[in-house]
Amino acid sequence: MSQWLNQALAQANDINDWLAPKRRQSLALLKETPWPSRKTEAWKYTPINKIERAKFATRTASQTKAVEIPNLAAIELCFVDGMFDTTNSSNSLPKGLSVLQLSEGGQTNWALDSFKQTKPDKHFFGLMNDALATQGCIIDIEDSSEIVEPIRIVQSFSLGSQSHTRIMVRLGEASRATVVEHLHGNDLSFNTSFAEYQIADNAYLEHYRLAMQCQDAISVGGCHFKLGHSSQLNSNLIGFGSQLSRVDVDIIHAGEHSDAKFNVIYLLDGREIFDLHSAIEHTVPNGTSEQNVRCIVADHANAIFNGRIHIHRDAQKILAEMNNRNLLMSDDAQVNTKPELEIYADDVRCAHGATMAEIDEKSMYYLQSRGINRSDAQVMLSFGFINELIDLMQNQAIGDWLRPILRQRFANMEIR
Amino acid sequence: MLKIENLQASVAENQIIKGFNLQIKAGEVHAIMGPNGAGKSTLSYALTGREDYDVTDGTATLDGEDLLAMEIEERASAGLFLAFQYPVEIPGVSNMEFLKAAVDAQRSSRGLDLHSSSEFLKMAKAACKQVNLPLSFLKRGVNEGFSGGEKKRNEIMQMILLEPKLCILDESDSGLDIDALKVVAQGINSQRDGQRSFLVITHYQRLLDYIKPDFVHVLAEGKIVKSGGPELALELEAEGYSWLESYDRNAADEQL
Repeated sequence: MSQWLNQALAQANDINDWLAPKRRQSLALLKETPWPSRKTEAWKYTPINKIERAKFATRTASQTKAVEIPNLAAIELCFVDGMFDTTNSSNSLPKGLSVLQLSEGGQTNWALDSFKQTKPDKHFFGLMNDALATQGCIIDIEDSSEIVEPIRIVQSFSLGSQSHTRIMVRLGEASRATVVEHLHGNDLSFNTSFAEYQIADNAYLEHYRLAMQCQDAISVGGCHFKLGHSSQLNSNLIGFGSQLSRVDVDIIHAGEHSDAKFNVIYLLDGREIFDLHSAIEHTVPNGTSEQNVRCIVADHANAIFNGRIHIHRDAQKILAEMNNRNLLMSDDAQVNTKPELEIYADDVRCAHGATMAEIDEKSMYYLQSRGINRSDAQVMLSFGFINELIDLMQNQAIGDWLRPILRQRFANMEIR
Repeated sequence: MLKIENLQASVAENQIIKGFNLQIKAGEVHAIMGPNGAGKSTLSYALTGREDYDVTDGTATLDGEDLLAMEIEERASAGLFLAFQYPVEIPGVSNMEFLKAAVDAQRSSRGLDLHSSSEFLKMAKAACKQVNLPLSFLKRGVNEGFSGGEKKRNEIMQMILLEPKLCILDESDSGLDIDALKVVAQGINSQRDGQRSFLVITHYQRLLDYIKPDFVHVLAEGKIVKSGGPELALELEAEGYSWLESYDRNAADEQL
């Protein structure tokens, strides 16, 4: 077993806080779980050895500053290398919203039970995060409260840092909120960041995870949602690749008539890797889920999407859709897409599709015939491919902020 | 303005255009008619430079400039415009963004100042109204979910904004009801200023009732077999193409 892992385990053994009973469970599981390799199906495309090879430093005073999103007018919760940054975080919260640091979780009567409730145990680094995450926050939204301002959790990572964070969010019955998880860093760093969301009956969560780190980042994390009766989730994941980016998303329909939408955009260049695993668990009848995963891969990058839909026995009248579209911009770019449908109910509608396409030459000709040169047309078409999903975002400020950033990224993606 | 001499063009090594000659002077309207498979669309694609439409011989110049040596977008900036028979849908790219990019590209290539966004918005709104499309169409994806008639009107809107020297209208009348046909024809006629020239490709005389041509040519087997004045279109309408030696009742539809 890896030396890095042994050190991490030793470190985890020394943590003795309110989460200690849960941490011990995960540690026990970890010791039985082999270090994933290329032969481990779920980690086939994730080059984990990069974690062992990377040189991490102990944390120094960081220069990394959170990126602003104009006009978002958010409640800001800022973390630098996992540490809460009081000066840049909002200090007044609206009625109905309470925020605790993860270390303060012992003060609540629900957090201990909720920890590890939504996130499955299957994930090696998820278990590591259970054992090691001492930073992060606990967000509680009261029943029937509508939090108008988006809650933005900014995690910045500085050179050589290692951090493990956990976000826990509880949306009370019939409450409404927008949560933006913004991960960002300009240098080599390693982070595991997992978030667990409990969405109570009739509640609505608008969710964004902006995983926009640099090429050097090593980032493993996930978002896990549990949906109550008639609740609604509208989740968006926007990712740039890096030398190792792995995101797992689990959406568990625990109450009937719940609806989940999950839209994903990722853009990869250079030798970046983005490995996305989603799992939609329809455990009860009458639910709907829709996933749209769109990816543009240039140069030698590798885009992985493993999309699982699991319709449990007796979970009838489910409508589940999954759509994965990929745009390849070079001969050396790779896409590995795998749908996994497990359906144990007979009265359901479940559709999936995956397409791999290069730039459509008819559209290209059309734009050129109007005077637009090939490289500008390329940017327009690639952008159009994902702009459809940006147009669907409810939060206009995020869409307006994203468009030029993504446009710029395309402009830099050369066709080879 | 446009001068085509002995043009020969092939698609997938099949020669479709076989020695085509045509001269269009400034301000003239020429109509090209002909049966399916005559090479009408191939002619428009070869002139605009579409990939896989190879010009194997001959010349084509626009105001003395060698069109065939130019990239697709350079031909557009030189003043050539093709109104597509089947305009392409491009979801996610808004009509407005597309129009502005096209007009900007052509103006900068011609060394003209670019319009400010607000100036251009005014122009685009005016053009949109002129072709009788709701203003919301400027925000929608390019041709996305447009009906056949709306697509054709969107083509004419682009023509109005791009101010080309020579417009090729490839069956701009196909699939239109009589009201839509009038709107399209009015849009085209509004652009006739005595300088701008038109090459109208059509199957039917109907469009020519609204856009009066100066010359009518019959294209068959890749070349012009007959030319005349507007009266030729009427003859064709009455007699069809069966007088052509090469006429084949079973000719494959030339649609791509």
